[in-house]
Amino acid sequence: MSCIGVSHLSKSYGSTKAVDDISLSVRPGQVFGFLGPNGAGKSTTIKMLTTLIPPSEGSLSILGIDAVADPLRVRHKIGVVLQQPSYEPTLSVEKSFDKYGMMWDVPKKERKKRTEQLILDFDLEHIRKKRNEDLSIGQRRRVQVAREFMHDMDLLFLDEPTVGLDPGARRKLLDYLKKKVETGLTIFYTTHILSEAEYLCDEIAIIDRGRIVTVDTPDALKSRFGNKKTIRIRLQEKRQDVQGMLSGISDCEIDFEGGTNITIHSEQSEMVLLRVLETLSNNSVDIEDLSAVPTNLEEIFLRMVRDAPDN
Amino acid sequence: MHPIIRLVNRNITISLNPGFLIWQIIFPLIYIFVAGFAYAPLISNVPFGTKDLDYPAFLASGMIGFNIMNSTLVSGIIIWNDRRHGMFEQIMSGPFTRSHYILSNICTIGVIGLASASLIALVGYPVFFESVEFSLATIPIIVFGAITGSILFGSLASIISTRLRSSEGFNVVINTVFLFFAFVSTAFYPAQGVPEPLRTAFFLNPLTYLVDVIRAGIFGSITEFVILEMLVLAGMAAILFVIASKLLTRLDF
Ligand SMILES: Nc1ncnc2c1ncn2[C@@H]1O[C@H](COP(=O)(O)OP(=O)(O)O)[C@@H](O)[C@H]1O
Ligand SMILES: [Mg+2]
Repeated sequence: MSCIGVSHLSKSYGSTKAVDDISLSVRPGQVFGFLGPNGAGKSTTIKMLTTLIPPSEGSLSILGIDAVADPLRVRHKIGVVLQQPSYEPTLSVEKSFDKYGMMWDVPKKERKKRTEQLILDFDLEHIRKKRNEDLSIGQRRRVQVAREFMHDMDLLFLDEPTVGLDPGARRKLLDYLKKKVETGLTIFYTTHILSEAEYLCDEIAIIDRGRIVTVDTPDALKSRFGNKKTIRIRLQEKRQDVQGMLSGISDCEIDFEGGTNITIHSEQSEMVLLRVLETLSNNSVDIEDLSAVPTNLEEIFLRMVRDAPDN
Repeated sequence: MHPIIRLVNRNITISLNPGFLIWQIIFPLIYIFVAGFAYAPLISNVPFGTKDLDYPAFLASGMIGFNIMNSTLVSGIIIWNDRRHGMFEQIMSGPFTRSHYILSNICTIGVIGLASASLIALVGYPVFFESVEFSLATIPIIVFGAITGSILFGSLASIISTRLRSSEGFNVVINTVFLFFAFVSTAFYPAQGVPEPLRTAFFLNPLTYLVDVIRAGIFGSITEFVILEMLVLAGMAAILFVIASKLLTRLDF
């Protein structure tokens, strides 16, 4: 059984299609990454999956329950951290944890225990007595994510949870989530940061303008493009004729930007690089800077989004 | 525990902060003991139903209705705060339905309204005890007034909460509503002797009905006019409640 089963899901606001006919399936115990630029439709998808808004079209099943027909049963089994901050401004951090647990009907003793554990796990000791409205944005975000673990759940939705966190806190959170997954939790995780998805997720869907561009494991995504390297060359001065000079070189894709920047993607990068350098030096073109790096997910992502249909 | 009780528990916890308590206790005390006795030499006796009340007793009993309005306007703001601080979405993605949320707000408003009424009644009691005439018939009238009044003003604040997005607009509207209700009413002075257009305005104000009903309950003078006022109060509360529920049901994220 899949944990999340979505088929032909769409959401329209007037004439804009925020989510456009997406289908996906998430297995239990998996971290599923939902990756896309701003405005891609990530939050809209999460709001549908968490029963906050009804889909315009399509069906969705969460933990085997029809989420449109029986939202309350779904809500009992999921945890949700939306992109928007959510906090009780006048309560202290520890009090707001306790009240949140109370809202989920967690027994008092258990609430105490979990509050202490979360304060430890999320480094909140020094702010536990502070009121939520007095926290910094990053602290508030950490508190919001931590608070969600006051109750039990089978499936957790996180909408860009690391925005506003410093790199240390970000890494800590990802490691905490990994530990939770080992105990059987399934996570649906949206982000626009690829390194995060690469580090955390078992499977990644890339979404752009409401559509899923591709779904694959991070490794498969890399190996699909993995032999490719990216060569970057910056010229000392602008030369109009460079494009013509290099047009004869095969086995590569060359982009020219602004007359001085050349980006080359190729699977035979050594051969191509030699030929490019030879051609440039034969034509007395001076190079200011040169680098060659393996194509990372970031670039795959940018290219996928750029090459998506109707762009 | 039932989901509504859990939400009421949460609502009351977040409402009971020092600012709210000062608003709820200190202000009415200042009105009763400072204004009440300061104005007493100017306003000698106030006829009410079959009785003649002294001004401090008249004012202290008026403060009960005033305080119900006050506290329920404040707790009606829970919805406004929940939307601003993301708690509305958070709760609605948790183990609750929209009906749970709406009903819990009504219960919270009712509980806070009743508690404020009792508190002011207790504090004001020494001031008006001479004229008090509780009976089996009048206590239910006070409770009726407290609950319908709470629902009325709570619904009104909820309606304002769902209609306005900016906090400047919200504050201006709430304060204007509050000022009009508080001072164009029989909470502070009797309608008798007030010049005409103002006198009519008094009766366009739900607080006037609430205050009159509660006073009638305390001083045991239930006239036909008071019964009419009870009907008007219940009618207004019902209408505002239906509108507030409709708006809350349609509220999106
Ligand atoms: N309530 C709404 N009303 C109108 N348009 C909306 C609403 N919510 C989202 N959108 C639009 O839908 C698109 C997707 O938004 P969103 O899901 O928030 O993207 P993401 O989370 O990936 O940044 C955007 O173009 C956004 O403007
Ligand atoms: Mg978003």
